[in-house]
Amino acid sequence: MAGGQERILRRRIKSVQATRKITKAMELIAASQIARSQARIAANRPYRQGMQRIIREAASADPAAARKMLTTPDKVDAAIVLVIVGDRGLSGPYNSSALRAGDRLVHMLQHQGTSVRLFTVGKKAPAFFRFRGLEVEQSFTGFADRPTFADARRVASTLAAPFVAGEVQQVLLVSTRFVSAGSQVVESEQLLPLVMPSDMEVDTSVGLKGYTEFEPEVEQLLSELAPRALESEIFSALLEGAASFHTSQQRAMAAATDNADELGQTLSRIMNRARQDSITTEIMEIVGGAEALRSGK
Amino acid sequence: MATLKVEIVTPEAALWTGDAAGLMARSSEGEFTILPQHTATVGDIVPGLVRVATSSGELAFCVHGGYFQVGADEEPGVTRATVLAGIAERVSEIDVARAQLAKETAEAQLTSTADLDEATRAQLLGSLARAELRLRVAAR
Repeated sequence: MAGGQERILRRRIKSVQATRKITKAMELIAASQIARSQARIAANRPYRQGMQRIIREAASADPAAARKMLTTPDKVDAAIVLVIVGDRGLSGPYNSSALRAGDRLVHMLQHQGTSVRLFTVGKKAPAFFRFRGLEVEQSFTGFADRPTFADARRVASTLAAPFVAGEVQQVLLVSTRFVSAGSQVVESEQLLPLVMPSDMEVDTSVGLKGYTEFEPEVEQLLSELAPRALESEIFSALLEGAASFHTSQQRAMAAATDNADELGQTLSRIMNRARQDSITTEIMEIVGGAEALRSGK
Repeated sequence: MATLKVEIVTPEAALWTGDAAGLMARSSEGEFTILPQHTATVGDIVPGLVRVATSSGELAFCVHGGYFQVGADEEPGVTRATVLAGIAERVSEIDVARAQLAKETAEAQLTSTADLDEATRAQLLGSLARAELRLRVAAR
């Protein structure tokens, strides 16, 4: 009988509505996290800019020392690639686009004859790379949502060690940059050797106008500064990654909620038709029965 | 009038910004004081006390190592001094009991565990040094 179909539909509607409740809640949570993670990016900006300013100042004061510190060798035998993604899924293309970019980069490097050591941040990364037959040397998890500076420091010291020991000549980063609430871009950049911050990023209002004194000497200062700058860059990448993750998740969950609304509407329309059909059938049966009785009289 | 703008920033937040009469700290080359009109300087700060003299008294910060930059601000007559520190806090906000506990825990773990791997050991030594500095600075 048609009532069976109606019951099945009712059950489906209920399940769609339950899912919608979850996606709606996730959307709201992500939305609240966006503001918080954006505030953290803003709070980090003075430190990051101050760091870049010092490096620029030191580099322009002693170009010879800077060249030693900041130049990438022509031939890179081994490199480290750090890929930053999230700990959780259900965030639209956030994880997959950074992972695919990381995968491409690794293949490109290997094609050039560079041996690659892969490090990752985020629970979603190791499974992806393992599936593609790439070995992840170390994966950091548990802080992708709310990274602290101590986390950045731990990642930085792990990556700096092989570079300082001369095992690798380059450290590269693949992460999602938070350009604005409407735009997040996956970018790969060089972490080590340090990249001279471009004019665009640095506010040159302070210093750079004459002689600057250095204590200790520029060369020593730069070599001490390098690990601090690495921490700072990784921390800002983690912060922007977290903000991008929340934004992406909010968008994905809003879309899921809309889809659930639409599906619920379609289903309830089908269900109403089914109910009407069954009522019509019933009436027809009753009328038919009455007719038969009358004609049989 | 010549003024000095001081910023003390950590990666997580700007700890303090404001006008000051002077800034005192210690670099790897010794103690230094920065007054308004100081020449442009870049240098490091060894873990210890950073003091800022303001019109309403002296502020003390516990800085666990960092860097500073002094330079002329775009505003004429203003000198800007920026202190960058991975970890820093106001001395008045140090929790002595917590630092004491952290010190004891780190010491206990360092002595009781025989075969620590290098990373854990470095971490424990770091937290021990931070706890000791906090206690020293707070006891001043």
